Amino acid sequence: MTDARPGRRLAATATATAALTALAVYGVFFVAPEDADQGIIQKIFYFHVAIAIGSLLAFLVACVYGIRYLRSRDERDDEVSSTAVGIGIGFAILVVITGSIWAKASWGTWWVWTDPRLVTFLIVLLLYAAYFVLRSSAEGERRMRYSAIYSIAAFASVPLSFYSVRVARSFVHPVVFTQNGANMPDSMLVWFAVSQLAVIGVFLTIMQVELLQRRADKALRRIKLRLEAAA
Amino acid sequence: MSTGAQYVVAVYGVVLFGLLMYVLVLGLRTARLAREAELLARLAEREDEARRAPEPAATP
Repeated sequence: MTDARPGRRLAATATATAALTALAVYGVFFVAPEDADQGIIQKIFYFHVAIAIGSLLAFLVACVYGIRYLRSRDERDDEVSSTAVGIGIGFAILVVITGSIWAKASWGTWWVWTDPRLVTFLIVLLLYAAYFVLRSSAEGERRMRYSAIYSIAAFASVPLSFYSVRVARSFVHPVVFTQNGANMPDSMLVWFAVSQLAVIGVFLTIMQVELLQRRADKALRRIKLRLEAAA
Repeated sequence: MSTGAQYVVAVYGVVLFGLLMYVLVLGLRTARLAREAELLARLAEREDEARRAPEPAATP
């Protein structure tokens, strides 16, 4: 008998994510108030920041499962870690593109090289992009070990990006979440929270889809090997 | 549509485009898996037929 639970889990996660996304889009565009300073452009914030936090969470998952792999040497931990890096990179690319559009609308320029948040986030993205170069350069157990070590080491750049904007004196990028709490009214915060949950749902859904595909791929390879051996 | 609204539409369009591209990649990968599964099923059927085929009669 095969385990049908992953399929059912995926269906439940995808349904919840779809509902949350629909709710977030409705809330952001029809309920949340328009920002007095930025106007409608501020609506970009809800998904831009949520996806940015989602990408950093994905890198955290990759780091945690990298540590788990080094302790257990379980191939499944490596699969989760590498899948999380892939999703994190996808999210980070979306953050850079959407951030650039927001910058153009808000500051009149696509990119500001002197802003620590923008530059450090780009460094995080490039560091994780190198993960797959490293991964493709080794085989077998070494490949998984190197990937795990790299995912842990690269995670050091995440707090650097997070705190850079708080530590640096000169910047144009706004800080929304400070030590005194969120820098926005509750009527906006609630819809940001829904958007964040929707993005986390997208992350979990993609993660499950990827792991199921890998499971199917591995099963097919096993059958192929058996048939070849029997022939 | 105001310029600000155009930027907002562009941002959400980029997110949607990203998701659609992922669905496209997913579809291509699923198609490859289906092709491989079909090929393996055919190979298994051929093996089965070869096993069931009667032994050739011995010539006197």
